[in-house]
Amino acid sequence: MLHYVLAAILLAQWANIPLPNTPRTADGKPNISAPAPKTSDGRPDLSGIWRVGEGRYLQNIAADIGEAPFQPWAAALYKERADALGKGRPSERCIPHGIPDGMLVRNSPFKIVQTPGVVVILYEEFNHYRQIFTDGRGFPPETNPSWFGYSIGKWEDDTFVAETVGFNDKSWFDDPGHPHSDALRVTERFRRLNFGRMEILITFDDPMAYTKPWSATIPFTLLPDTEIIESICENERDHEHIVGK
Amino acid sequence: MSDLAIVIFMLAQWVNVALPNIPRTSDGKPNLTAPASKTADGKPDLTGIWRNPDGRYLDNVAVNGVEVPFQPWAAALYKERQATFSKDRPSGRCLPHGVPDAMLVPATPFKILQTPGVTLILFENQGRYRQVFTDGRGFPKEMQPTWLGYSIGKWEGDTFVVDTKGFNDQTWIDDGGHPHSDAYHAIERFYRRDFGHMELEITIDDPKAYTRPWKVTIPFEFFPDMELMESVCENERDTPHMVGK
Repeated sequence: MLHYVLAAILLAQWANIPLPNTPRTADGKPNISAPAPKTSDGRPDLSGIWRVGEGRYLQNIAADIGEAPFQPWAAALYKERADALGKGRPSERCIPHGIPDGMLVRNSPFKIVQTPGVVVILYEEFNHYRQIFTDGRGFPPETNPSWFGYSIGKWEDDTFVAETVGFNDKSWFDDPGHPHSDALRVTERFRRLNFGRMEILITFDDPMAYTKPWSATIPFTLLPDTEIIESICENERDHEHIVGK
Repeated sequence: MSDLAIVIFMLAQWVNVALPNIPRTSDGKPNLTAPASKTADGKPDLTGIWRNPDGRYLDNVAVNGVEVPFQPWAAALYKERQATFSKDRPSGRCLPHGVPDAMLVPATPFKILQTPGVTLILFENQGRYRQVFTDGRGFPKEMQPTWLGYSIGKWEGDTFVVDTKGFNDQTWIDDGGHPHSDAYHAIERFYRRDFGHMELEITIDDPKAYTRPWKVTIPFEFFPDMELMESVCENERDTPHMVGK
C-alpha cells in the first residue's frame, strides 16, 4: 500500500524534458555550475524553473535574523498565528500565497520568463502568475490593493531589482504568518549566480507593521530539463486536510 | 449612495497605461486598424491584451448557427446544464475556466506574451495562465489530466496553431456547459488580422463527446493602453451570489 502511494506521487512529479538551452557536461547531464545565460542585450537571463533551496524560509522568513522588528500589534498577531500553527492562512482557502511566500514552497517550483518588456513569474502552485514590468512605465497613480501588488523592475548591473507596492493587508510573508499592512513596499534583488543558482535579497519596508525595514536572502536552485505542472487548489476537497488548531 | 457605488466600481477598473509600442493616429489615439506587429523573426506578434467583445460566445460558443454533433450522453448533459442555468460550472467554485471558455469572458481580458520558446496566455480571470510551448518539444509520453491541458504551438504562414491535449473531463467549453471528455483535443488557430483585431478558430475534436470534430470562430479586440488587473476568486465569499436552480 505504501509502495502504491509512492508510485502515485512519482507519477505526479515533473516530466523530464531535455531543453535545448541547457548547458551540459561531457556525460550529457545539465551543467548547473555553468555561467548564467545572457539575453541578447547582455543582461543575465533569469528565465528557468526555480525552487527554493531550503524549506526553512517557508517556516520562518526571518530565520536568519532571529526576530523581525515588529510593531507591537504585528508581534501579537504573529504570535497568535504561530501558536495556531498557521491555521487561517490564505493559501488554505486557495487564495494566493503572496510575496515572497509563493516562492518559498519547496514542493512547488516557479518559472521565470524574462521578456524585453516584462518579467513574468509563473507559479506552479494554484496556477497563479505575477508580472514585473520593465517597459519603462511607472507605478499607476492609484492601484487596487492586491495579493501580488504592482511590480516595476530595473537592472542595476547584473542584479534585477523589482519594487512592488499596492498590496492588500491580507497576504502572509511565510506560512507561520509574518503579517504586513497595505503600506508594504517590497524590494527584491534577483541575482543569478550561475546556471543553477539564484539568490533573492528581499527587503520589507512597512512602517505600520515593522519599526524598520528588514531583509532576508533566499537561495534558489534551478530545476533543469523539466516543466512545471498544473496544480489547482480545490477548496472543498483540500479543506479537511488542513492542519492547525 | 448609488454615486458612491459607482465611484467604487470606477476605481476597480483597469489602470490606464500609455504603452510605447502602440501605433497611433494623428490625434494620439491607438490606431486599431494599423498592420499587425511582427516579431524579430518576421512572424506576426500576438502580444497584447485581448478580449472577446461579444458575450454570446461565453453563453454558447456555437452561437453562430454551428451545429454541435453531440454524442447522446453529451447532449443529455448539456441539456441538464442548460436547465439548471449552469449552476454547477467549475468557475462557480473558483476552479479554472477551460479552453476556450477562459478567453470568452468579456469582463476579463487576457494577455498574450509571445516569446521565442513559449507563448504565455495570462488570464485576468482568476489570475491563471496557460503556456504554449514553441521550443520544439513534443507532448510528454504521460500527461496528468489537467484543467488547461498541455499545449504545443507552431506557425503555419501567419497563423499560430496550438494543439492542446491532456485535459481532464471537468472543464466546460463555455459557460453554457458544452461538455468534453478526457479525449478532448483542441486545435486553436490564432490569426491577428490587424493591430486591433484577432480571430480564433477553434476545432473541438473529442470523439467520446461528439460524433465528429466541429469548429467555431471567435473574434477578439485589442485592449490598448491598459494593464490586466488582479482578479482572485474567493470561494466562500462568491458562492452565495451564484445564480441557478
